[in-house]
Amino acid sequence: MGLTPLFIGLLLFPWISAMLIAAFSKILTRLLSSFSILLSFIQFIGLIYFIYQLQGNPHAIHLPWFSLGDSVFRASFEASSSSQIVAILVATVAFFVQLFSSSYLKDEPHLARYYLYLHLFAAAMYALLFADQIWIFYASWEMVGACSYLLISFWYQKEVAIKAAKKAFLLNRFGDIGLLIGLIGLSIHFDTMEFSSMQIGSVGPAPIAIGLALLAGAIGKSAQFPLMSWLPDAMEGPTPASALIHAATMVAAGVYLGIKIYPFTGEDTHLFMAVVGAISLVSGAIFALFQHDIKKALAYSTISQLGLMWMGMGSDASLLHLVVHGIFKAGLFLAAGSVIHYLHHQKSSHHLDAQSLNQMGGLRKQLPWTALGYGVFAASLMGLPFTNGFFSKENLAGFLWENAQNSPFYPIYWTLLACLAIGMLLSNWYISRQFYLIFMGENRAKLALEKSSKWDLSQHIPVKILALLSLFFWTSWNPIHTQESSILNWFQIKTIEVPSFWLIITAISWVLGLSLTWFSRHWIPTKNYQFLTAFWPSIFQFIPWKARWTHRIDILILDKFLVWLAQLQVVTGHIIAWMDQSLVDGLLVGFSTKMSQVSGQFLSKWQSGKVQQYWILVFLTFGLFLLYVWM
Amino acid sequence: MGLPLLSCIILLPLIGSLVAAVVKWENGIKYWATGISAIQLLTLIYAGTKFDHSATSFQWNEELNWIQLPLGSLGEFVIKYSLGLDGLSFLLIALTGFISFLAIINSHSIQEKKGAYFSLLLLLNAALMGCFLSRDLFLFYVFFEFMLLPMYFLIGIWGGPRKNYASIKFFLYTLIGSLFILIVMLGISLAYIDPYETAKHLGLIQEGQNFDLEALKNIQTAIANKEIANFDLVHSFDMQALSDVNNCQTTSILHPNSGWLLNGLSARMWGFWLLFIGFAIKLPMVPLHTWLPDAHVEAPTPISVILAGVLLKIGAYGWLRTAIPFFPKEALESANIMAALGAISIIYGAYNALAMSDLKKLVAYSSVSHMGFVLLGIASFQAEGWQGAIYQLVSHGILSSLLFLVVGVLYERTHDRQIDHYAGIASLMPRFTLISGIAIFASLGLPGFSGFIGEFFSLLGAFTSPYIHPAWAVLGAFGILLSAGYFLWTFQKVYLGKTNLFNTAWKLPDLNRLEIFSLFSLGILSILFGILPQLILDWSKYFVSNFLTTLPY
Repeated sequence: MGLTPLFIGLLLFPWISAMLIAAFSKILTRLLSSFSILLSFIQFIGLIYFIYQLQGNPHAIHLPWFSLGDSVFRASFEASSSSQIVAILVATVAFFVQLFSSSYLKDEPHLARYYLYLHLFAAAMYALLFADQIWIFYASWEMVGACSYLLISFWYQKEVAIKAAKKAFLLNRFGDIGLLIGLIGLSIHFDTMEFSSMQIGSVGPAPIAIGLALLAGAIGKSAQFPLMSWLPDAMEGPTPASALIHAATMVAAGVYLGIKIYPFTGEDTHLFMAVVGAISLVSGAIFALFQHDIKKALAYSTISQLGLMWMGMGSDASLLHLVVHGIFKAGLFLAAGSVIHYLHHQKSSHHLDAQSLNQMGGLRKQLPWTALGYGVFAASLMGLPFTNGFFSKENLAGFLWENAQNSPFYPIYWTLLACLAIGMLLSNWYISRQFYLIFMGENRAKLALEKSSKWDLSQHIPVKILALLSLFFWTSWNPIHTQESSILNWFQIKTIEVPSFWLIITAISWVLGLSLTWFSRHWIPTKNYQFLTAFWPSIFQFIPWKARWTHRIDILILDKFLVWLAQLQVVTGHIIAWMDQSLVDGLLVGFSTKMSQVSGQFLSKWQSGKVQQYWILVFLTFGLFLLYVWM
Repeated sequence: MGLPLLSCIILLPLIGSLVAAVVKWENGIKYWATGISAIQLLTLIYAGTKFDHSATSFQWNEELNWIQLPLGSLGEFVIKYSLGLDGLSFLLIALTGFISFLAIINSHSIQEKKGAYFSLLLLLNAALMGCFLSRDLFLFYVFFEFMLLPMYFLIGIWGGPRKNYASIKFFLYTLIGSLFILIVMLGISLAYIDPYETAKHLGLIQEGQNFDLEALKNIQTAIANKEIANFDLVHSFDMQALSDVNNCQTTSILHPNSGWLLNGLSARMWGFWLLFIGFAIKLPMVPLHTWLPDAHVEAPTPISVILAGVLLKIGAYGWLRTAIPFFPKEALESANIMAALGAISIIYGAYNALAMSDLKKLVAYSSVSHMGFVLLGIASFQAEGWQGAIYQLVSHGILSSLLFLVVGVLYERTHDRQIDHYAGIASLMPRFTLISGIAIFASLGLPGFSGFIGEFFSLLGAFTSPYIHPAWAVLGAFGILLSAGYFLWTFQKVYLGKTNLFNTAWKLPDLNRLEIFSLFSLGILSILFGILPQLILDWSKYFVSNFLTTLPY
């Protein structure tokens, strides 16, 4: 098969899958999960084959779409090296998430709807990754947001879930206004509608205003500071869907936008991105400590890790961490899903909150494999050696350090490095602490836990394989160095060596983080503390308030005024009628009385109140007119 | 082609209407109206297939002399029955045909005076078709006024509790608008000379003979040099003649060189703004919109569908056909104010929609907001903006009809439109929830649906336009956030959550076949146009490019 038809096929296949799911949902009642998993497996294989055929080269297609005035809108897609590797991530995670869901949600009555949404999401996500035309990019950007809305509100009878879905969509939309304006700005600045033909060349890099507008959209999507509060709430959706959308792929789209615009934006934009990332890294990590719900803690951890990618400013360092994080964070969510699933199905705990850390502790005995997987993912998050997290984190520090050497903005870079160190320390603390609170020690709810009796493969395989994928040998056989990495060469990802002093800082952060965990092991937050709660809700209450106020203007002033104006006419009419009666009438009593009686009787026949008669009059008039015309 | 197709499109519902008014069928009348509407729809499809896409101007012109009025020393007045079709007209008559058809088949809630109802509905259809097909301003005005009567009765007789108030309000607003239009119409036709008719009058050319550009120039120079006697001058209401400023008599206050000023504004500026406001009432534009929510709330569902789906489009159509072509320079100078009014309409309508507790009012205010994008797009005077505005007309026609039908489905089952009286009906009516979800996501401008393309191109035009301040475009862009707000809020309250109805006795069966057909055909159209925007853009491209190249930059 030629590359172009294969590419188009890969772009279309998830949409077709979604339609197939919708069409066959009634027939394939029990086999629906398997069918859906098969579809996403086909997509995965096709994608791998396509990328293998490309041999690391980009591949672009330009299809005619429509033209408007002088501008031609083409449907352009490009499989660049960065989009290829992220697409593999999406395909992998999507496949494992579906596999996991088949067991996790097997009692769910509306499974067809769930798989339909997942395929729709995948379709929009591939379109977003491969889109070269900026408006296709924008369209798929909005569509992944809509799919996220649908998946968060999947259990639509849960009041919290639908509120969270609405909040997610609105905060994303808020950012998207910026994205829209930014993309229009880009298309004017570079006079093209395709990312691939945007070159600094003679026009210079895109000005900071455009960069800020674009990043506003990315802030919304990646739940960065200050539009971050939707992501913890979004955890009301099904856990596997959270793993796919709100951990590994969709939220990373903001970073992906940063990667796309990196070549043609200036250093000012890059630094803004890094500063937003640094704030999110530190604040997300702090708030991850103050959650007693494990999913919410992971959500804050995602915000924090996305902030880390943002600190890479959209360079290759961001890309590498995006992929590495996608694997281990999806794994963390799926492993957490296993824990929740296990607790939820315990007879003795049915009245308890299965996501609360208060119910956990000592679960290593019941769920040894999950504990092992969780440990590997946590190690990758901490960036311990022998994991991929080590490569990507050190690479990011190296990137910042190198920029600090030869940039006029070196104080900012040094501040960013300091934030990175603090963020790493906090990350090591919260993730190791979470691992401890779930799996180590003794069970705090004093539940009579049964050993997981069923050996549920579709829950175990995804966690195990993702854990394997988090280990170092995929990237490089040398556990502390990436210089001979074939996979990084294939996708042309450049890595930067980190100075040795940084390794010492990293090592200190591990030791400190782990000891902090040990000292704080008896303390559990009493509730989920929300970042910026005091700030955002008041903004959103302000809008309905303003709406009521606008409506009051509409009714009380605008409408009243016009009605009053009309009433004034009636009053004037009464005054004139009174004058007519007492003055004019008084002079011409006899004559006018007679006349008005006669004419009144005549006219009242016409005013019969019957529509048909009115209508015939109308029609006659119109008919006469037409008759006249045609003659 | 021997048959005057365009006249047929107008005459068919007219005849149908007459028969419906006279013949006393109680139950058959609905099928009669449906049949008439279906035949009209087929005619429109036929016209669409025969339409010559390469033609840059009007086609299938039909022209008949109607009134010839000698005015003595002022010359002569000629009023023509003149119809023609171009891409813009076709889009709107196709929309009218389709929406009328859906309105007719969804009229089963009308139980009394069915004959009168259907005959008025068909009459309304004829008037709308006439409006979109007229090339003579007088004829256009006649049809425009004619629309008023059926609409007044349709709201006033079959409406809700406050029908009298609403129908009179509708009537008065529209009447004032048409008064403004009338003033300009008379003024401009007296000031302008129709060179073609003058030449014909003088015997310089024969009927049907080609009147080329050179001949036109000759006549215009002759008129300007006063070589033609006053009583030989012919005035007409031909829109094309009125669009050429060279046809204006030098002595008239409407001439660009006349120094006449009133309150600091030239007569041409006054003309533009009177026409603009006349049509803005129809659009409706803030602050002239308050008739709309009342009319919608009181009107029965099918009438709301026609009102939002088609009637509002006349406002924008009037701008595109008369106000802007007649006074292009003035329009361009006012672009910034127009854009401001558009942006205010978007935001103001959206805020009002956010505060609504009545479903129909919410959709009505969302219409105000969406039509604001049309104004913003037109004010940009860019190909993108105009195409976007025209696209938005069609898209809003589809989506607002869909939304009103959705509200109608609920209202028919419960006779209640309060948003907080419903919760969680997704569990009771899954199909209905699916199509409502499509309607809501399409209306809030999700890409992949038609609502996005219209808003997007209007905004794109507004951003790239050199005539308007970018602040208005930014303000307009915030409208898409607010629209997401009120639509999602409604979706959450009414459809999602635990099922909880105000009245536990309410029965909410899922959609029947007729409803599935009506709602899903609109939903599918919205998706189709959203993915393949060229299906609409190709129709309007010549209208837009022809007009924008003649603009006095």
